Amino acid sequence: MLSKEEISLFINVVKKVSTYDFSDYSERSFARRIDKILSDNKMEMSALITKVKSNPEFLERVVKDITVNTTELFRDPATWQALRFRVLNKFENQSVINIWHAGCSTGQEVYSMLILLNEMGLFEKANVFATDLNSDVLSIAKKGEYKYRFNIDYLDNFDKVINENPFNYEDQVSVAYSKYFQIDQTRDLLKMNDFLVNKPLFRKQDLINDGNIFYTKFDLILCRNVLIYFNHELQTRIFEMFHQNLFAKGYLVLGAHESMLGPVASKYVRKGLFYVKK
Amino acid sequence: MSYKAVIIGGSAGSFQVITKILANIPAGFDIPIFLCLHRLKHVRTGFEEALSIKSTLPIIEPYDKQHIRPGKIYLAPANYHMYMELGNTFALSTEPPVNHSRPSIDLSFFSAAYTYKNKLVGIILSGANKDGALGLKQVKLAGGTAIVQDPNECQVKTMPTAAMAATDVDYIFTTDQIISFLKKI
Repeated sequence: MLSKEEISLFINVVKKVSTYDFSDYSERSFARRIDKILSDNKMEMSALITKVKSNPEFLERVVKDITVNTTELFRDPATWQALRFRVLNKFENQSVINIWHAGCSTGQEVYSMLILLNEMGLFEKANVFATDLNSDVLSIAKKGEYKYRFNIDYLDNFDKVINENPFNYEDQVSVAYSKYFQIDQTRDLLKMNDFLVNKPLFRKQDLINDGNIFYTKFDLILCRNVLIYFNHELQTRIFEMFHQNLFAKGYLVLGAHESMLGPVASKYVRKGLFYVKK
Repeated sequence: MSYKAVIIGGSAGSFQVITKILANIPAGFDIPIFLCLHRLKHVRTGFEEALSIKSTLPIIEPYDKQHIRPGKIYLAPANYHMYMELGNTFALSTEPPVNHSRPSIDLSFFSAAYTYKNKLVGIILSGANKDGALGLKQVKLAGGTAIVQDPNECQVKTMPTAAMAATDVDYIFTTDQIISFLKKI
């Protein structure tokens, strides 16, 4: 595996020739990403550094390959069930609900949210914003088109979140998938319906440099399995930034095995999977 | 030789072996043990509890950036890769499965080898694929001790056999021998 010194050298070169700053990334997981890029490109570290210096397009490619883009429709159904019955219902009486998906990747959780909002009758009053550093994944998110075969678990997750109520087993509905997306097995496509695709505002944004790029605060920020790639200090800065951009009693939703450590945690009240702004 | 950590990788056929090892770890064991075990895709919860029943030490599925403490057993959470960072913290990752596995045994072993160098014991148990072979090789390259479960004892011998092909292991042990080795360190 790459040494700390090789990693620092790479990070310093990138910092000099671009606005990207990976200094506060979690070291071993960052080393792993660079290892993968080296082996995918059949390159040595010295060649990678030379090419990154001289070729801005290659640098953009490398930055995109560093970011991890794993996401699913209704990933961790229990989280979405809790969002439905314990969180979003609290906003029912508001006239507007502002939601930010920070690090939305290819957008599956944005669509999960829109589907849930629609089932709860909150679709019209919601403003849904979504950002990512990687413009390639944002183009996929904007289209709302996914491979079907590869993502067959989506249907199980949909049933768990939309058709079942874990807090009341007698409360079962049967919403058809076609209400929200069309499955074309011959073309191996799962395509979100237009009314969902047209709703969110997708924007390219660098969580570290840009902060909140929308002229509003939020009732709910989802940032799931994004900050795990940052070290503790940078995580803390982002938690502070989220805190400043949440409305009082606004919710922050992290990934299933993420948590908030250190003094910043005292600015939030932890409620199970969720962090509520004090 | 004073070791600072033990990392164990296992897949098909390893559950009973792990359970037996965990039941026999002495209560005063004062270094962390990392478990990177493949599980069925839909078994996301309950694994920690199942392993805990007979374990002498507490079993934890760590959160990202959680501190690594001595005398605890850490199980890689479902659907995450688990890395051990310098400074005694975990880092989790959701990057795609490696060799169809997330958690990947190779990736956990790579980071542990980097972080603990010659103070690490790496153990590969029964399993039906080659995950862990490169990881154990890295443990050995970094100066650590490489152990495989005796293939003759394994329910599925592919994984220890692959590890033996990838690197010159230090010990080929039965479950009981693994336990006595751990009791002595």
